[in-house]
Amino acid sequence: MVMAGVLVTVAYVLASLGSTARIPARIGPFLAVVLGVLAVAHLATRRLAGAADPLLLPLAALLNGLGYVMIARLSDRLAALQAIWTVVGTVAFVLTLLVVRRVGDLSRYRWTLLAGAFVMLLLPLLPGLGYSSGGARIWVRLGPVTFQPGEFAKVALAVFFASYLAERRELIAARTWRLGPLRLPEPVHLLPIVLAWAGSVGIMVLQRDLGSSLLFFTLLVVMLWVATDRTAYLVGGFALFGLAALGAYHAFDHVQTRVTVWLDPWSDYYGKGYQLAQASYALAEGGLTGTGLGLGDPQRIPLAQNDFIFAALGEELGLLGSSLVLVSYLFLVGAGLRAATRTPRAVESLLAVGLSTILGVQAFIIIAGVIRVLPLTGVTLPFVSYGGSSLVANYLLLALLVRISDTATRRREGWR
Amino acid sequence: MNRRIRQLTAGLLLAYGLLFVQLNLLQAGPRRDVLLADPRNDRQVVRDFDGPRGPIVTADGVVVAQTVLTPDGPRTHQRRYPTGELFAHLTGHYTLTYGATQLERTQHDVLVGRTPEQQVRWLTGLGRSGDPTGTVRLTVRADLQQEARDALGDREGSVVLLDVRTGAVLALWSWPSYDPELVAVPDAGEAGRVLEFLNAFDSKPLLANSYQERYMPGSAFKVITTALGLEAGVIDLASTWPVATEWLPPQSTRPIGNYRGTPCGGDLAEVFRRSCNVPFAQLSVQLGPEAMVDGTARWGLDTAVPIDLPRPSASTFAPGLDYAANLPLLALGGFGQGEVQMTPLHMAMVAGAVANGGAMMTPYVVDATLDHRGVPLDVTQPRVWRRPLQPGTAATITELMVGVVREGTARCCLQLNGGVQAAAKTGTAQLNPVGEPERSHAWIMAFAPADAPRLAVAVVLKGTNAEISAGTGGTLAGPVARRVLNAGLAVTG
Repeated sequence: MVMAGVLVTVAYVLASLGSTARIPARIGPFLAVVLGVLAVAHLATRRLAGAADPLLLPLAALLNGLGYVMIARLSDRLAALQAIWTVVGTVAFVLTLLVVRRVGDLSRYRWTLLAGAFVMLLLPLLPGLGYSSGGARIWVRLGPVTFQPGEFAKVALAVFFASYLAERRELIAARTWRLGPLRLPEPVHLLPIVLAWAGSVGIMVLQRDLGSSLLFFTLLVVMLWVATDRTAYLVGGFALFGLAALGAYHAFDHVQTRVTVWLDPWSDYYGKGYQLAQASYALAEGGLTGTGLGLGDPQRIPLAQNDFIFAALGEELGLLGSSLVLVSYLFLVGAGLRAATRTPRAVESLLAVGLSTILGVQAFIIIAGVIRVLPLTGVTLPFVSYGGSSLVANYLLLALLVRISDTATRRREGWR
Repeated sequence: MNRRIRQLTAGLLLAYGLLFVQLNLLQAGPRRDVLLADPRNDRQVVRDFDGPRGPIVTADGVVVAQTVLTPDGPRTHQRRYPTGELFAHLTGHYTLTYGATQLERTQHDVLVGRTPEQQVRWLTGLGRSGDPTGTVRLTVRADLQQEARDALGDREGSVVLLDVRTGAVLALWSWPSYDPELVAVPDAGEAGRVLEFLNAFDSKPLLANSYQERYMPGSAFKVITTALGLEAGVIDLASTWPVATEWLPPQSTRPIGNYRGTPCGGDLAEVFRRSCNVPFAQLSVQLGPEAMVDGTARWGLDTAVPIDLPRPSASTFAPGLDYAANLPLLALGGFGQGEVQMTPLHMAMVAGAVANGGAMMTPYVVDATLDHRGVPLDVTQPRVWRRPLQPGTAATITELMVGVVREGTARCCLQLNGGVQAAAKTGTAQLNPVGEPERSHAWIMAFAPADAPRLAVAVVLKGTNAEISAGTGGTLAGPVARRVLNAGLAVTG
């Protein structure tokens, strides 16, 4: 934890030194806010979930801090907002730890959560409330505050899936219902899941948010697979997804554009490919050790503070820095999954799997998009990207993981 | 369930492994070089532009390009050219939107301090201060460049002064020139308008006419024809030609005449110093297409001169011509008419080869590049480019060229200070077809002192107006060469 704090502070000072050759004037408030907030989160964790995996919060804090440094380097205004959201996120983290003493309790609200998830996903489609930006209609504006309710929906859905599957996984795995040559589980058990999935994915497609629909889809498939122990769900799920992707490619122009600029951003350099091409230039510029914080030109990538923040980090911190980010996510996800294996309770285990999957897959989707391993689908880089809803939702998610990890360890080692 | 979770972990590890592989390719692997070299990737260019950049200085210590800090300007750094148009064709200009030209382009890495050698010295240097930028030191002297400019005045043309023993260029002037500072302005729109304005001139002020343009050489070319004849044993100092006004070459009904149709003849020394045309036309045909094409190629014609400046032009003798089928053209080529064209730089090198005992040196304008402390990085070593003639032949040609100054076409105008003897050959290249208003370039190529040559010069005045067209190489270009040689001999050892 101290390491994370020191690293982030050093990075912040370096970034400012690099760009203006001055110790940042706001170093006082910065330390107070960022480090203070981290300290509060840390103390709260010690007090409220002392047995939790000690990697979880520091890694998230490190990612959050690195992202903040990069955002501060790109825009003072956004940095101020991000600082506020960091505080809000931390408050949400502590509150969640305070309120949710046992994750199993959440099962009681699973239908409420499912309904809530749907409402949140539908909100942006409401005229007057929702608005679109960057081609995706996933934002909601309430007065001066705008947010992406979808970020919270993913946590709610993970909770719903976990509790529903934990209760009925035997039934779903049983496959007693014959449909021609296929043997499927009783439809009545599968129905809510199919509905939940179809609904959320359908909404995402309507909102043209491919990244999130891919994320939801992966979440469901992975949770079904882990819960039922049946590889058929994994294979079938991805086969279905392949078909859906193929269909989307033929049905939507914007999907075709995505694929075209993925294969060759330079085919439309001054148009849709520009951002990707600039991201590639930025990463190449970074090389092994990077240009140094504050010494690169990440502002040349359009909207570098959002989906493309990984390229900005890769430019200024080099392959070493970008690998550090990759490793941080792996450790974070690894800690989550370790908690999942340690708890004997199916619901906790499944929720840990779901939440870890969200983190791991979301980071994978956006990094893969930025470095052109996959077509780009816009999702935020968890904890790193600029964006309040994303940050707060991820701190919520983290709090649940911390809680599961804490419970598992206590139970296992007989704490108190 | 735990088995599945472990499989999920493995799957995610694999996925992140893929990302790591791609990151390596992009940030440290082959893709990186491709991306950095992509012409649309101007990150480095832009970053350099807002950074320090070393100066370009002349051999006599005058700063001709430097970067100053402009804290109040739209950019943090601004390139300045204190000597204005005097060194434009050497330094070129350095702009953000329109790129860099000339030495600003070719010496960019040295100037910003990015050559590997500079990086090593910078990083290993103790107590370093300032920045790693390098300096480019020219062979060209500002005083001689200024002398060339003053001597040429506002007439269009070029002056090239060389050190014959090394090939170092001491003056490389051509008019019209331009002021790079007008192009290197921060406002891209303004720079674009200046470039558009300059490009509109037929006289090409942005082009270094001294080595990027070629002109018909006229009789100055006779030095090469004579050398080829002497080396082939076809002629010698005892050869004589009967007095004639014209000669009918093979395959033709149109006779070739002497300059202004004067009767002309005598021994080699006489026809050379009086610059008769007929003997050299006959000599060219006598040597034949093959010997002339191969011979002129040995002198470096039809090859770009390997100077350390961008895009040098090649002088031409046989640009894809079949001279065997066109002997009249070969005859014209013998005295520098027809299809023959030479760059002023190359003409100076021809004089230099004669002066240097037959060795034509590789010309260069960069004397040395220096690191941030002024310690040399790379000092240009003189190199022989071609050996187009034997020392004995060079001595004979020198004798002939001294005759031109003593009692020939340059008699009027090439008497140097302190009685120093110069050797020269003039040229008046007739551009107009027979019967049309006279239009001609005035040339001279010369070297001095004749007995121990140090400097060679070539001057061309373009036949852009009636006044120049009415004059001759001797009367017009001669005085320019004299001024430059006098100044050059005074300041060099």
